[in-house]
Amino acid sequence: MNRHRLHIAIMVHSPIIYEGLHAVISQSEMDCIICKPNSLDDLENVLHSQKVDILITNPLLLVNREKEVKRIRKNYPDFSIVGVNLGIVDNHSLSLLDSSFTIFDTAEQVLSKLQKAGNNSEPKVTANDDNLTERELDVLTKLVHGFSNKEIADSLNISIHTVVTHRKNITAKTGIRSQSGLTIYAITKRIISIEDVDLQNH
Amino acid sequence: MYHVCRTYIKQGMKMFDLIEENPSLLLMMQHFDIDFRVSDLTVRQLCTERELSEKLFISIANLYNGFKPKENPIGSIDDVKRVISFLKNSHNYYRNDKYPQISAYIKLLQKKHPEKEIKLLEKFFNEYFTEVIEHLDYEDNVAFPYFIELIGNREKSKTNLYSAHEYSEHHTDIELKIKDLKNLLLKYVAINDDLSLRRKLLFSLCELEYDLYIHSLIEETILIPFGYRMEKA
Repeated sequence: MNRHRLHIAIMVHSPIIYEGLHAVISQSEMDCIICKPNSLDDLENVLHSQKVDILITNPLLLVNREKEVKRIRKNYPDFSIVGVNLGIVDNHSLSLLDSSFTIFDTAEQVLSKLQKAGNNSEPKVTANDDNLTERELDVLTKLVHGFSNKEIADSLNISIHTVVTHRKNITAKTGIRSQSGLTIYAITKRIISIEDVDLQNH
Repeated sequence: MYHVCRTYIKQGMKMFDLIEENPSLLLMMQHFDIDFRVSDLTVRQLCTERELSEKLFISIANLYNGFKPKENPIGSIDDVKRVISFLKNSHNYYRNDKYPQISAYIKLLQKKHPEKEIKLLEKFFNEYFTEVIEHLDYEDNVAFPYFIELIGNREKSKTNLYSAHEYSEHHTDIELKIKDLKNLLLKYVAINDDLSLRRKLLFSLCELEYDLYIHSLIEETILIPFGYRMEKA
């Protein structure tokens, strides 16, 4: 699953507003997946199985549901709620929102509100950028030659803990976990030569 | 391949509509030994007809639609037997259907592209395949009989050396290497042409990964917690 992709839930009853928001968001540059819970209960079902970064909802649907909203926020602290203001405002349910826009806002204004809300949950490390550092290349080379963590640590004069961190970063960057998978990666990237690998006994 | 945001399955929905929306439910039905000709039956009617617990069926069907169960759906001894038979059927699907298919595709690819990288891919897969077979045999011969014994004779199994905890320790994520293969094929290993064969291979890997993922979820969220509950009782 992609880490930097935003997961957006749109919970509004009006099909016109749903389709409108869906069109604005999905045709923008934003890398996101949209789902459509029908109620807060439904949303909790979705949250139970996958992450949701932003809920876009009509604040009127949150009237008298303060308890549920608080529970969801407690269980999923990274989650933001953006209200779509349809003209009728209930001040109490507005206080449950992180931000809001109105149906008279331009597409750019709506998207910028969502981007801002999404930044709260943005992870620090971007996954799958396979530019390995010099040190990571050293660790990878030793690894595919069958060195253990301890042997790698000794030969590079670093701690085992550092070796483990490098290995985690290698996996995050390449998307590959196993030693035999990394061997094939190292060969296709010309990090090691195929002659280094014994096809029979590796 | 593992899509979420699909319909949350409920008892009154028609099986036909659900299959149309997510054809992978056919695979679930195969694992449950349920015929595909569902006519106009609702989920509830189908379960009644097949004498299968509605709660169990809906929980597992929802796993295929991307929703994890909120509570353990196992309510009777019959349910445990059904879950184990489901898992055994999926083992047969991996062993006799999916893995041989993928293996044949990779073999064919290697034949057409004699580069050493592809040879390594084949080797990677074969080693992985051996690991998987060992794992499936272990579950069939050690883990599942333990659960059957657990429901049959509680007293005896309490003195048994095996436990649900040991099972959960032994239980590894066998789908991870499928991810490695997908990453290698989509990002790194250069192969010219043969799009059709490569697409078939990738599709098969995705299908396998999807079912293995659900398989692990059934073990982790349904069978193992049930084992703990029985051992404590």
